[in-house]
Amino acid sequence: MPESQGGQDVSISAENLGFTRRQERTPPLRNTVLADGSRIAVIGAGPAGSMFSYFLLSMAETLGLDVDVDLFEPRRFCHRGPAGCNHCGGIVSELLVQRLATEGIILPHDVVQRGIESYMLHMDVGDVEIATPLHEKRIAAMYRGNGPRESEPLDTQSFDGYLLELAQEKGANVVRRLVTDVRRDNDLMTVACADQHSERYDLVVVATGVNSHLLENLEGEFESFHRPARTKTFICEFRLGHELVRETFGPSMHVFLLDIPRLEFAAMVPKGEFVTVCLLGDRIDDDLINRFFSSPEVRNRFPGGVIPQQACHCYPRINVRAARPAYGDRLVVIGDSGSTRLFKDGIGSAYRTAKAAAKTAVFHGVDAASFKQHYAPLCRKIGNDNQVGKVVFGFAGLIQKTRFARRGILRMTSNEQAQTSRPRRMSGVLWDLFSGSASYTNVFVRTLHPAYIGSLVWNLVAGNVPGSAARHGRASGEEESHVRR
Amino acid sequence: MSGAKTAADQPATALFQLHAQQVEKLPPCQAQCPNSGDIRGWLGVIAQHEKNGLTLNQAYDRAWEMIADLNPLPATVSRICPHPCEDLCTRADKDGAVSINAVERFLGDWGLSRSLPLPRIDSEKHPESIGVIGSGPASLSFAYQMARRGYSVTLYERHSVPGGMLRHAIPDYRLPREVLDAEVERLLGLDIALRQNVDLGNDVDLEELREKHTLIFLGLGAQAARHLGIPGEQGPGVITGIDYLRQRKERSESLDGKRVLVIGGGNTAMDAARSAKRDGADVTVLYRRSETEMPAIGTEVDDARAECVDFRFLVSPTRIIRDGESIQSVQVQGMRLGEPDEQGRRRPLPVPGALQELAADIVIVAVAQASDWHGLEAVDTAHRWLRTRDDGKLDKDLWAGGDDRGPSIASRAIAQGRLAAESAHAELRGERGAGAASARNPINAGAVKTDFYANQQRSQTPRRPQTEWLSNPDAEINQTINYDQAIEEAARCMSCGLCFDCQQCFMYCNASGFTRIQETSPGNYFVLALESCEGCGKCIDLCPCGYLEARD
Repeated sequence: MPESQGGQDVSISAENLGFTRRQERTPPLRNTVLADGSRIAVIGAGPAGSMFSYFLLSMAETLGLDVDVDLFEPRRFCHRGPAGCNHCGGIVSELLVQRLATEGIILPHDVVQRGIESYMLHMDVGDVEIATPLHEKRIAAMYRGNGPRESEPLDTQSFDGYLLELAQEKGANVVRRLVTDVRRDNDLMTVACADQHSERYDLVVVATGVNSHLLENLEGEFESFHRPARTKTFICEFRLGHELVRETFGPSMHVFLLDIPRLEFAAMVPKGEFVTVCLLGDRIDDDLINRFFSSPEVRNRFPGGVIPQQACHCYPRINVRAARPAYGDRLVVIGDSGSTRLFKDGIGSAYRTAKAAAKTAVFHGVDAASFKQHYAPLCRKIGNDNQVGKVVFGFAGLIQKTRFARRGILRMTSNEQAQTSRPRRMSGVLWDLFSGSASYTNVFVRTLHPAYIGSLVWNLVAGNVPGSAARHGRASGEEESHVRR
Repeated sequence: MSGAKTAADQPATALFQLHAQQVEKLPPCQAQCPNSGDIRGWLGVIAQHEKNGLTLNQAYDRAWEMIADLNPLPATVSRICPHPCEDLCTRADKDGAVSINAVERFLGDWGLSRSLPLPRIDSEKHPESIGVIGSGPASLSFAYQMARRGYSVTLYERHSVPGGMLRHAIPDYRLPREVLDAEVERLLGLDIALRQNVDLGNDVDLEELREKHTLIFLGLGAQAARHLGIPGEQGPGVITGIDYLRQRKERSESLDGKRVLVIGGGNTAMDAARSAKRDGADVTVLYRRSETEMPAIGTEVDDARAECVDFRFLVSPTRIIRDGESIQSVQVQGMRLGEPDEQGRRRPLPVPGALQELAADIVIVAVAQASDWHGLEAVDTAHRWLRTRDDGKLDKDLWAGGDDRGPSIASRAIAQGRLAAESAHAELRGERGAGAASARNPINAGAVKTDFYANQQRSQTPRRPQTEWLSNPDAEINQTINYDQAIEEAARCMSCGLCFDCQQCFMYCNASGFTRIQETSPGNYFVLALESCEGCGKCIDLCPCGYLEARD
């Protein structure tokens, strides 16, 4: 939906030019290559904004280029609760942790709330634990702000706060102002703030995420810009205490495959004394939330089957179709406010878009043509993968809806988990789908493997023979079981 | 599986909802101001002028008008006010309280330099005639509030010039007489008649005035200083602080080389000590408690010290020793501090045997004020001060305000005059008093998120170089901040308890629940659509000024 229809919605010329101002022909730009003294405004110090600043300043440093980066962020990630939060499930795949490490961004221990060792898949037909494949694709859970409302001050650090500090150490100047408007001003860009302050820049990088009103203002200012399409999700936090969280949830992320319409993905992530519940799908509403919490699979996660009062909840919007175009002269949109992976790995997308945009700005130029040539391909790649992702989630939806399919999945996965020697095709697919460790295209291609299909067909049949011992795979036996009912 | 079952219609989980509402709170500055000045309001008009389509000049005009609505003498009062508004400013613990006083002074001068007219309320004239006794701040405030409502007002002043204590007791180096003259003249321009040299009880009596006017306001002040009541006090060389200051305004006399003892620790004592210093005397202030108990404004004490005024604490005069007519010395009793009295100040107690003689030529007594009740035989003056209702009403046609109800700062006198006028007007027009107007709750401590605001150093009131203070004795020491500093300082206001358009709620609400108002004004920028509120409470947590709060 996003990329294929993109060309129809937006005129070709607008797409070529990137952002154009309303009722104005863009005059040829001067000095579209960054030079000593160039000024760059980065709006938003979430992962995308901070990483962009970090990368740009690092790259400029290697070229001996002296540029100024103003990183605008009025909020403080040291605040507890929504004021300091950047709402998300707070999951980083091990792959990304390692990739960040190669960039010099080494996540300290106090940022990670809990290393996730396995996935626990909950279905009405039973539960199955999927262990970390090959002991390397671990994931990390952490808070984007400083934890939920009422949380105790812990020896932990906010992920976003940590990245912001890195950017600051590299030389970014953090400006505690709320940007309300970005305008093209002759040859330069003007950034205007809520307190009536405004400044001019050679490049403006929009990294506001999709939960900021600024994107709407940009649509008003730039005729050709279309902000991302969004859908409503739900996140809440339960404060259960360290002990209970450890006992009940262990080092596992709990994923629920439930037959609830419009629910695409539901998970519970243990983080210190809290558990984060994350519901993704199409227009998450109170009815859907209630059905989720009413299901026995979910209720049984809580002591006595009673859902406690949550400490914090919100309905963040997510990007379900990329901004178009995500660039223009002296303007580039990164992270969630531009392109991101559907449902998963938003921080990974922030990293990729931030790095590509920084590279383009430093080594090629800050005009629309440079971004089109060197930045847009990444956005297209993400968009194409999301198309595949939609197909994959379509399949997952089918499984959610059909009990016999759930039985097949349960059987195949639990058998794989019990036997270490055979390739774990279903486990790997599910792991990568849940964690976002691999691209949707990669996941999809693996499901086309004849061995996967063959195994799945067999398990569908075997898992659904009434009364058969084979119905539950090896788990029906006495030996240690990965199936939990 | 556990057999847990829920009724389908009963929610499995009750979401912890934090629905927001916009509620204006009373800021600490206004709560502290005796005259309930809308400080946050006029600072906001300046700080947010661009958002509301005003030029800075227009914003300064508007801010001045808002001040003048409650106080017709802003340039005057700002010069002498100890500004309690700044004491509890939320900004104080961050990087210094907002210099409210400095901005008010700037605006006071701005109003004078632009010849801005005092704002009238009613264009229609009322038939009632109003008499005002005295022309100090309380009387001027009362006269102003009545005149701007359409009453004809006559002031009766026993001296030749109006202004009361502002005129007689405040030295020029604190309040240049040109400033007072200009503000009083502007006030009298509202068709207020001034009858000078009319002394109540001698030139006119109260009954006469009661017949002539529909109602009378008593703003007599408290210029009759109390005496020490010690041997040797009667005779030349002993003068009360207010008498000394008044005489000096008319004609200053050299006190070169004279040893002056000033008795007392209040503002009149400081004014008298510093004035005597300007007249060439060696000045020592005697106070019976210690420095921490002194009621004088702290900066006045510091400035007196800077001018080489000496201080002797914990001494109380017991006898003035004379050689014939002229004073030789003052015998003082050493004191110590005992238990706190009913006002919380520690009571001075004599130390047995600690007697001492201090050489002196002149003794200025500035221990306490009193009112002169001459001509007020028809009124109950049995107590030390007039006892009125809260709104100043004393009798069916008598209202009172100012120091005759107990001495206080000019700002309180202005407030009493204003409230008396509001009450008198309501009564004359048969309306209910506007008492419920300020029913807002004070903002809770901690409700303002001070770390949201960027650090910005407080601008200091500029001062004349200290070396010129005594050499140019009448020149005003404090100066006015400039045009640019005034908006910088106004922008430091955190707008405690009222929206100042930081836009965080609007920009970050996931549900886009806030809509910008077309015609904005300070405090009035967004409407919140309750039906779209998702109850996450983010806006409440983000709102830096404590305007958004959770609905019950």
